[in-house]
Amino acid sequence: MTKPQSFRLLSKTTFIYLIFTFIAFLISAVYLTREADEYIQNEMEHRYNRAEHRIKRHIKRGSRPLEQLLPNYIVTLLSDTLASNNYPVYSDTVMYDAETDETHYMGKKTVILELEGKYYKAVIHSEMDDLINLKDDIFGALIPAFILLAISIVAFNYILSGYLFRPFNKILGLMKIYTVGQRNAIEKVDTSTIEFKNMQELFHQMVDRIESDYQNLKEYTEHMAHEIQTPLSVVRNKIDSLISDDNVMKSHKDTVKIIYDEVSHLSKLGSGLNLLTKINNREFTNAEKIFTKSVIEKHVGSVEDMASLKSLSIKTSLSEKHSLYIDPFLLDILLKNLLRNAISYATIDGPIHIETNDNSMMISNYGPSLDIPAEKIFERFYSNHQKKSSLGLGLSLVKKICELNQLKINYKFENRQHIFTIDNI
Amino acid sequence: MKLLIIEDNLHLANDIRQYLSESNFVTEHACNFKEAEIKISLYNYDAVILDLGLPDGNGLDLITIIKEFLPDCSILILTAKDAVEDKVRGLELGADDYMTKPFHKAELNARIHSILRRNRAGRSNIINIDDIKVDFINMQAYVNNNQLNLTRKEYDLLVYFMQNPNRILTKESIAEHLWGDHIDQADSFDFIYNHIKNLRKKIVEAGGKKYIQAMYGMGYRFTPAQPE
Repeated sequence: MTKPQSFRLLSKTTFIYLIFTFIAFLISAVYLTREADEYIQNEMEHRYNRAEHRIKRHIKRGSRPLEQLLPNYIVTLLSDTLASNNYPVYSDTVMYDAETDETHYMGKKTVILELEGKYYKAVIHSEMDDLINLKDDIFGALIPAFILLAISIVAFNYILSGYLFRPFNKILGLMKIYTVGQRNAIEKVDTSTIEFKNMQELFHQMVDRIESDYQNLKEYTEHMAHEIQTPLSVVRNKIDSLISDDNVMKSHKDTVKIIYDEVSHLSKLGSGLNLLTKINNREFTNAEKIFTKSVIEKHVGSVEDMASLKSLSIKTSLSEKHSLYIDPFLLDILLKNLLRNAISYATIDGPIHIETNDNSMMISNYGPSLDIPAEKIFERFYSNHQKKSSLGLGLSLVKKICELNQLKINYKFENRQHIFTIDNI
Repeated sequence: MKLLIIEDNLHLANDIRQYLSESNFVTEHACNFKEAEIKISLYNYDAVILDLGLPDGNGLDLITIIKEFLPDCSILILTAKDAVEDKVRGLELGADDYMTKPFHKAELNARIHSILRRNRAGRSNIINIDDIKVDFINMQAYVNNNQLNLTRKEYDLLVYFMQNPNRILTKESIAEHLWGDHIDQADSFDFIYNHIKNLRKKIVEAGGKKYIQAMYGMGYRFTPAQPE
C-alpha cells in the first residue's frame, strides 16, 4: 500500500481550473472549425456560381472556341447526358505555380451545364489560399491564447498563495504553539476571507472551551488539595491526641495505628498527585542550564546517613561538564525521587552508583529482579512489592519531568543491578 | 511568648492552641482576615501562624500588615496550598518559614521554637532538661557536662525530642523532620530505629538515662523524669 499523496489546496484548484479551461478551449476550437468550414464552403460556392455564370455567358456569345474560354476553366461539350446525375463533384487540390515558385490551395468543382439543349462539362478551379489562411489564423490565435492563460493561472496562483494563505498559515502557527493555560499568547489574525474568519472563530471558541475546562479542573484540583488537606490535618492532630492517651492506646493501639498510617498515605497521595498535575500543566517554567555536580552532591549529602543506617553506601563519579536545561525545582524532585527509589529498593549486595558524563546521568542499585514487566516501572501505582505506604508515584513523576524537559530516561536490569539512565536528547 | 493563630478551621486552631499552650506559649486565635487585621493592629505578638487560604482574603496580604504593625514578629505560614510561587512570595514578603498541611504538631512546635530563637537575640540559646543540655550556638549536646559526639542528624533528632518532651513523636513525624521528602515513608521504620538506637547508646554511654522510649510501635517519647 502506498501512502495516498497529498497536494496543496491551490495546486489542486489550479490543476482543476486548467483542465476546465482546456476543455472550454477544445469546445470553442471545434465550434470555430465548424464555423470556418461553413464560411469557406459558402464562399467557395459563391465563387463557383460566379464562374458558372461567366462560362454560360461566354458560351452564349460563342465568340471563342470552348478550349480557350477562360484560363481556369476547362469546358467540354458532351455527346450525351448519361453521367449527369453524378455531378457536381467537389475536390481540393494543390497547384504549383512555377512563375512565383509558390503552391496554392485550390478548390475544384466539376459540373454539367445545360445550355440551349446542349450539355457541357465544366471543371472550375478557384483559388482558396485566403480562406485556408483564415482558418490557420484562427487556430494560430487559439493555441497561444490557451498557453498564455495556463501560464498566467499557474503563476498567479503561486504568487497569490503566499498572500492569500498568509492568515491561514498564521492561524495554523498559533494552533501549533498553543498549550493549555496560555490563552493570552493567541493573537487575533486579521483576514477578510470568510473561510479563514470562520476557522479562526472556531479555533478561538475551541480554545476558550479548553481553557475553561482546564481552569475548572485546575480549580477543582486546587480546591481538593486545600479542602482535603485541612480536614486531614484535623484528623491527624486528633490521632496525635489519641496516641498521647495511654488509656486509648492500651486498648486500641492497632486501630489507631491503622488510621494514622492511612491518613498519612492519603495526604501524601494527594500532594503527590497534585505535584504530578502541576508538572503536567507545565507550571514549572523557570528552566535554566544547571550544572548538576553540586546539586547531586547536595542531595547525596542529605541522604548519605540515611543510606548508611541501612548499611548502604553511595558511590559517585560526577562530571563537571554534565548539565541539564531544567527548572531547578523539578531537578530537585527528579533527584529526590531517583535517590529515594534507589535507597528504598537497594539490597546490601553493592553500593548505589551515581555517574554523570558529558551528556548523560546514570543511577543504579543492586536488588532482585522486578516481578512486574520492565515497561510498567514508570506507571503510576505500580510498586514492585506491594510495600505498605509506598506511593508508586515517584518514578512516574521522574518520567513526566523527563518528558517535559526533552530528556530520555531508560531502565534496564543488568548484573543484578537496576539501572536508570537519563540522556539529553 | 504570645502567639496569634490565624486559621479558619476551628478544630485545627484549637488543636494547635492546645499543643502550643502546653509548650508554655500564650495563644490567641483569629478565624478570618478581618479579625486577624484588627488583632494585629491592636495587640502585640511574638509570632503569627498564618493560614493563606482565608475565607475573606489572601493570607499573603496579611504579611505586609503584620510587618507594618509588628516589625519584630516572626511569621510562620501554614497552608494547604503546596504552591512554589506562594512559598517564594511569602518568604519574600518577610515570612520566616513555610509549612504545608497536613503537618505534625511536634514539627510545628519545633519550627516555632527555632524561628523565635533565630529572631530574638535575647532569647536563651540553651535547652536544659534533666541532665541533658543542648547549646544551639555551638550545636552541641551535653550529658552532665560531658559533650556528646553526635552526628548532625542525631543532634537534630535530640533537639526535636527536647523541644517536644513528654510527647509521642511518630516515626513519620521524625522521618519528615530529619529528611523531609527524601525518605520513602515505607522505609522510615528501619532508619528511625537505627538512629534512635545510636542516639540512646551515646546518651547512656555519657552517663545519661534511657530518656527515649518506644511507644506502642508507633513512635518514641522523650521522658525527662523517667521512673526507675
